[in-house]
Parts: sequence; C-alpha cells; structure tokens
Amino acid sequence: MTDSIRIDDVVKERALEPLPAAEEEQPVADPELAAVLRQLARSHESYGALVWRKFKRSKVAIVGGLIVVGLFIMAIFADFFSPYDPVRLNMGDAFTPPTRIHFIDSAGRFHFQPFVYKSVRKLNPDMSSTWVEDTSVRYPIVFFKRGWEYKLFGIFPTDIHLFGAAGDAKIFLLGTDRFGRDIFGRSCMAGRISLTMALFGTLISVLVGAIVGVFSGYYGGAIDNWTQRFVEFVQSFPQLPLWMALAAVIPITWDQFAVFVTMSFIFALLSWTLLAREVRGKVLALRETDFVLAAREMGASDARIMFQHLLPNTFSHIIVVLTLTIPTIILAESFLSFLGIGIQEPLMSWGTLMRDAQTIQTLGFNPWIASSVLFIVAAVLGFNFLGDGLRDAADPYAND
Amino acid sequence: MQNDTILEVNDLKMHFPIRAGFLQRVVGHIKAVDGVSFAVRRNEVLGLVGESGCGKTTVGRAILRLYDPTAGDVWYRTASGERVNVAKLKAKEIKPLRREMRMIFQDPFSSLNPRRTVKELIGEPLIIHGVARGKALEARVAELMTEVGLDPAYMDRYPHEFSGGQRQRIGIARTLALSPRLIVADEPVSALDVSVQAQVLNLLQSLKEELGLTLIFIAHDLSVVEHISDRIAVMYVGKIVEMAPSEELLRRPLHPYTEALVSAVPPADPDIKTQRIILEGDVPSPANPPSGCVFHPRCRYANDTTCRTVAPALEEVQPGRFVACHLARELQLAGIGG
Repeated sequence: MTDSIRIDDVVKERALEPLPAAEEEQPVADPELAAVLRQLARSHESYGALVWRKFKRSKVAIVGGLIVVGLFIMAIFADFFSPYDPVRLNMGDAFTPPTRIHFIDSAGRFHFQPFVYKSVRKLNPDMSSTWVEDTSVRYPIVFFKRGWEYKLFGIFPTDIHLFGAAGDAKIFLLGTDRFGRDIFGRSCMAGRISLTMALFGTLISVLVGAIVGVFSGYYGGAIDNWTQRFVEFVQSFPQLPLWMALAAVIPITWDQFAVFVTMSFIFALLSWTLLAREVRGKVLALRETDFVLAAREMGASDARIMFQHLLPNTFSHIIVVLTLTIPTIILAESFLSFLGIGIQEPLMSWGTLMRDAQTIQTLGFNPWIASSVLFIVAAVLGFNFLGDGLRDAADPYAND
Repeated sequence: MQNDTILEVNDLKMHFPIRAGFLQRVVGHIKAVDGVSFAVRRNEVLGLVGESGCGKTTVGRAILRLYDPTAGDVWYRTASGERVNVAKLKAKEIKPLRREMRMIFQDPFSSLNPRRTVKELIGEPLIIHGVARGKALEARVAELMTEVGLDPAYMDRYPHEFSGGQRQRIGIARTLALSPRLIVADEPVSALDVSVQAQVLNLLQSLKEELGLTLIFIAHDLSVVEHISDRIAVMYVGKIVEMAPSEELLRRPLHPYTEALVSAVPPADPDIKTQRIILEGDVPSPANPPSGCVFHPRCRYANDTTCRTVAPALEEVQPGRFVACHLARELQLAGIGG
C-alpha cells in the first residue's frame, strides 16, 4: 500500500460533521425548514423532556394525572382537608345528608361568598326524622378555619383546616355516617391506606415481575421455559377466591402495620405475572441486539447486561403496567374490605367506608353513605387515563 | 508462530445447529465457518472480504469468543508475550483478554444502547475492567472523544442526537477505551454514507498508525478494504478462497471468485472501461454446501471433473499468496491496472 492512494488526500483532518446548532427558536418563513429546525431543536432535549412533551399532547392523560395528583394531595393532607375529626363519634349528627352550598339566600338575593344553612332534624309523626334547613341565619363558608387539632405530617401540631362553616353551623360535603362522622374527611383519610397499599403492592409486583421477566428473557432456553410454565401456573389461580382465602387467614391479633404489609403482598402475589410476561418478551427481542453483544464483548457480567442494559430499555412497559396494576389493587382492596376481610376498623380504606352501605335499608334512606365510591371511581379512572398517556409518551423515539 | 505474529487461527469451525419441531431437535448444521486458517502479524491490517452470509462476521466473533467455536484454535499472543488459545479458554479467563482484543460493530445505531449517554457508553469498558471512575473516567472519555474527532462537550448527550458517522466514532472511542492491541472491525463503514465512509476509514488508518494497532478489517466490498489493508483474505461460504498482499491480489487475482470481486471495484479513472464479471446464481446455503469446490456452480472456469468432486485446499502457490483453486496455476485472471 502506498501513500499516493490514501483517501487521506481527500479529507485530511478527521473532519466532524457539525452538530445542529438551532437551540433558539427563530421565525423561519419556509414551513419545511421550520419543521426541520424544530426537529433539530427537539433532538437536544433529554429523555425526560421528550416524554413530557409527548405526554402534554394528550388531554386525557393530563386530566388523569391531575386527578391522581389531587387524590394524593387529599390523602397526604387529609387532616387539613377534613373540617371535623374523622374518628370522633358525634351521634347528634348521625346520617346528616350532604350540606347544600348556597349562593342565593331564601329571599332570592345573591351572595358572592358561598354559605350554608344549619340543618335541623325534624321528627315526623311516624317517629322517623327528616333534615330540613333552617334558613333564618346564613353561615358563610370560611377558608383556613381553626378547628380540631392534629399534627401535620405527624409532627407539627396545628388546628388549621382548609374550609369550614362560620359559627356553630356544620358543613358535611358528602354527609355523615351513622356515627355522625364527616364522610368527606373520612374518605380523604381512607385514601392514605387505599393509595399507599396500591402503590406498595404495585411496587412489589413490579419488582418481582421485572426481575423474573429479565431473567427469563435473558437466559432463555430451559430457564425461560420453566419460568413461563410457572407464570402460567400462577396465572391460572382464580384471583378473587385466593385473595379472599389469604386475607381471611390473617390473624386479627396482628398489629395494623403487619396487616397492611401482608395485604400488599397478597395483592402482589398474582399481579406480577403480567409484567413478567411483558418484560420477558421485550428482553427476548433486545438480547439479540448489537448493544447487548457489544456489552458482552466488553466483558460485562450477566447482571450488568440485565440490569444496566436490558431493564432500562423496558421502562416504557414497566410504567404502563405500573399504572394499570394500581387501579386493579385499589379495586381488589375495596372489594375485600367491603366484605370485611383484610383491612379492619379502626383502619380506614375506601373499601371499609363502603361497608356502611352494606345494608340496603340504610343505603335506601341515606344514599350518601356510599359516596366514598366516588373516590374509588376517580382513582381508577385517573390511573387508567394516566397510564394511557404514559404508554404513548414513554417511548418518545417512536414515530408520531 | 513467528515472534511478530499476534494472532494465529487454525482450522476454525463454527457450526450453528438448526433446530426444528416441537422438541427442538437438531436437524442439521449451518456451517457458517468451515475450516478457516490465517495468521495476523503485529501492526498489520488484514482485510476479510466476502459476500453477505459467507461467515466473515462469524470469524470475527469467534476470534473474540463471542461465539464458542465448534472446532479449531485461535492462538493469541498477549501483551506479556504469553500464547493463549482463545478458543479453548474458560469463560472466566477471557475477561482480561477483552481489554486487549476489541471489536468495532457494524451498525452504529443498534450497537449503542439508546438509554445511555455518550459518557456512559465510552466509559463503560473502563468501569467494567475497573480502570477508572469519577473524574478520571470523565477525563479519559474526553481524551478518547477528542482522539476520534468528537467534541467532549457532547459527553452528556444520547446517541440519537448524533449522525451515523458520529455514532460510529463513539463506537470507535468505546473500542479504544482500554488501549487494545487487536481490533476486529466488523464492517465499520458499511452502514454509513459514502462521504462519511472515507472519514471513518481515515480515522481508523491514522489511529492504527498512532496507537500501533493490529486490525482485522471485515468488509463485503474490496474497494473499502483495498486502501487500508496490508493483506486481504477472501471468504466464500465459510472458507478462505484466497489470501494475498492487497496490491498483488488486486493486480492479479488467482481465484475466479476474487477476479469477480475485483471486477466490481470501480476504477479511479472513470474513463477506464472495465469488464464487470457478473456471477450467475446465488450463494449456496452454508447448511448444504455444494460438493467439491464450493464455488464451482458459479465459476466460469470450472471443469466437470476435479472442481465438481474434490474440495481444493488453501495452498501457498507463490510466496505469501494462498489460494484454494485447482486451476490456480493455469488461469490468467484479470485484475486492476498493470
């Protein structure tokens, strides 16, 4: 080989193609050029920014996300949102219907500040009672009202609540139960257990599912075969009876935390299989790619290839399954609690609140006692919408 | 093995089982590499050329033990002068060798994990072999990026933010990270635009000279390897059919298959009219290769006797010129130039 035919003569330096430098948005007349520039500008964004950009485009996903965030805020600051102590019994207010919020008083005048009337129980001749509004005095709704004392985050003692009625009138947004406790406040409080249990159960299920899936897909062959048969075996269990049986054998003497953790594990027990399948399928495809071969060529260990190369590439699947598993567990927990197994009083979950609505008679006269179902529906829909949006957004490199 | 020989491949075979049916029984073998022998000297560039599916990539991967060869030896002389048979080493004993023998991958898109930044990609071999971490790692990555002509400022970007040529530079930087002695470049430019191909080839050439590398350069196109290679080995259906110093191979090929490949190289002067040899038929399946010389069904010179029945061995017909053809001594084949 002689130097005279070296291609070096054409391109002497190790020339580098210039990187696109279109970071600022400039007004460009040509729409095609503008599109190209946008594309270039976009390629400078990090993965997170790309996901967020795509996620924002879906209105439904945004709504779902807001619902979920709202529920979490209400659960975290349940004491703040709850105008009355959600645990204290107050028999005088038993079965109060939801307080109506007025803008127009009995004389037909409009008031800018919303207000409530006092509810008074009236005894009917047949010894039943009905609630009527005493329209003589208006009680405006006030915000950041001082009420019962609680500890914010369990540390800071305070007695400020988001809202309340002025004077000695009471405001029950969703009515009260048979012990006169505010159902709205109790629902916020119950969200703590329902949501954390769903998150915790999902976390376990995702951890197990992802690890089993990656192992099964990466090693393949006999390991994969046996793992998949085991997954099928687990999947063939009837979910509800198994959950019920397991939840029913938790000893009543256990402390609340132990019950909580055990219940989470019970829900995770069957739900990890979905993710294990998904991750396994994705890993099966990915392990043949060059970047896995390249990792092996560098001398990377199996663990490194599985957890640093393969698993991060299945994140989009994990996120989707995560948002789909959470509502499943919320529903399952409500169902079991409704039947009286699993979470027990005094712990509150949306399901245990629903227990009050079990007798058709009580429910017939006081339909508002089932209103915690609104929270369940909101949570399930919120997570499903969110999952829908995330599924599209989690893979921003896919074509629009 | 001479002292300056860094790698010696002896009768390397790589057969992949074909499985079929419910029980996944082995019903046959794809003989991707079927008895390949060659040696590479230090500082040399050996071009390995052949059509798609001829087994050249498999040879490269088997040398680096990404595949476990079915048979044969791969003798490698380590930096400390030891002679080891890579093909027979235990999995654990391979890891230190992976610092010395590295690979450049063909596809700059699929060979870079899309979820890792350039720093993580180039720095990964350093972490795996415990060479550097933290600030030292960053410094080394910056040095490597400069070496391959990338701006270290782009260290924290993801591969999708780069062009094909730049991605291949990232791949090369990753390969160089551990200062290897032997690099198997598996069609490093075939996925790139022609204009970028030249840049990357020049980069490899100057890196080779600066760092004293030994290269096995795999390509499917003689025009890519002719300038960079000192010697060229031509493969056809799992076998080497001809091996010779580049210039001699191009000027006067000894194997009819090489002649056809050479005729496909575009001449530097567009006024020169060349006689392009179009091979008829398809490459035979390595699962069921033809009898005798594997090339005889497509060979214009093949006779019905020896060519069809006897498989030719790779012989040294002139000093340094190896060819596997019964007719090598009789044929006068056309090459490029004088």
